Amino acid sequence: MKRFDCLKAIAPYFRDELVVTNLGGVRHEWYALRPHPGNYHLQNLGLTSSVGLGLALALPHRRVVIFDGDGSLLLNLGSLATIANFSPKNLVHVVFDNGCYESSRGAPTATAGVTDLAAVAKGAGFAHTATATEIEDFEENFLKAFRSSELHFIVAKVEPGMGDVPPAPLDSQENKYTFVRYIEKTEKVSILGSPQSRGSDLKER
Amino acid sequence: MQAEIAGEIISALKEAGVDFVATLTEANLHELVMALAEEKGVHHVPVSREEEGIGICAGAFLGGKRPAMVMMNAGFLLTANALATVCIHPGIPVLMLIGHSGGMGEENPSHGTVGMLTEPVLQALHIMYEKVGRREEIRRAILDAQTLARSSRRPVAILLNKEALR
Repeated sequence: MKRFDCLKAIAPYFRDELVVTNLGGVRHEWYALRPHPGNYHLQNLGLTSSVGLGLALALPHRRVVIFDGDGSLLLNLGSLATIANFSPKNLVHVVFDNGCYESSRGAPTATAGVTDLAAVAKGAGFAHTATATEIEDFEENFLKAFRSSELHFIVAKVEPGMGDVPPAPLDSQENKYTFVRYIEKTEKVSILGSPQSRGSDLKER
Repeated sequence: MQAEIAGEIISALKEAGVDFVATLTEANLHELVMALAEEKGVHHVPVSREEEGIGICAGAFLGGKRPAMVMMNAGFLLTANALATVCIHPGIPVLMLIGHSGGMGEENPSHGTVGMLTEPVLQALHIMYEKVGRREEIRRAILDAQTLARSSRRPVAILLNKEALR
C-alpha cells in the first residue's frame, strides 16, 4: 500500500475540514490532491500531533485531521498521552508508517523493528485505534473516524515512496497567512489583528 | 510560588487577552499551575514535554486562541527547535512564562548550569525577554510582553526570578 493511494482514496470526502501535515512527502501529495486554505503544512518534524491538538482544542466544532509519520510521532510519543487525556471529539490522527526516515535517505525507524504505534496509542489512552495494510481497509477505517464524534488513531502501514506530484508551492509564512485568513473568514474572528497599531490591537481584546 | 503572585500572574494574563495556557509544572510553579487548572476563563492544557506545549500553543493560535506556555527554564531548553521551526519561522506568537531557576542565590547545585544557559539560549533564538519577580512589576511585564508577541508575531518570554518563585 502506498501513502499517495491512501490519500487519493480519502481526498474526495474532504469539504471544510482542517488538515495538519507532517514534514516530508505527504505535504506535496496532499497539496496536489486537495489544495485548500484549510491545510497547514508544518515545517517541523515531531510536532504535527501537537499542532493538530492545539487546533482541535481551539476549534472544537471543526473537524481536524492530522497526517503524521512514524519518524515524526516517535519524536513526540508523549503527545499521545496528552491527546488521549483530552480526547477531542473532532480529531482524527492518521500516521503513515513506512518504517523509515524516508526524507533522510531511508534509515529504519523503530517501527521497522518491534514497535507498534497503534499499541502505543492504545496504551496512552486512545479508545479507538486501528492499523490498516490494505487501501480498502484504510478507507473504511478513516471514514468511520471521519464521520464519528470521537477521537481516532489510525496507522496506515505503507511502503516507502512518493507520488508523482510537483512540490507544494506554499512557503511557511504564506501558508500561515492563508490558513489564518481562512479561519478568520470562516469563524468570523480576528486572529492577527491590525498589523500596524497597538491601539487597534488593544481594542480587539 | 506564593498564591498572591500566582493570582497576579493569572489576572495579568487575562487582562492581556490570554485565553489558552499550556503548562508543565515544577515545585515552584505548583500554585500557578493548580490555579490555572481552576481558572474558568483560561483553557488549561497540561503537557508531557515542553516542546509539545509550544506545538499545542502554535496550533491554538492558528485556531484563534491567544496562547501562553508556563514552564521552567530546564524545559525551555528543550524547546529550541520547536520555537525555531513552528513559531519563529512562520511568525507565530507565543507568550512564555519561564521559571528561572539557577539564578543568583540558587541553593540547589543541579540548577546552576541551566540558570547560566537560559538567557544565552533566549538571545541565540533572538527572543525578547524580561526578568521580573516583584508582585508590582509582573502585570506590566506580562501586558507588554503580550503586546510585543502579537505585534511582532514572535515568541516573547518573561523570566520569573527567585523572588517570584519562592
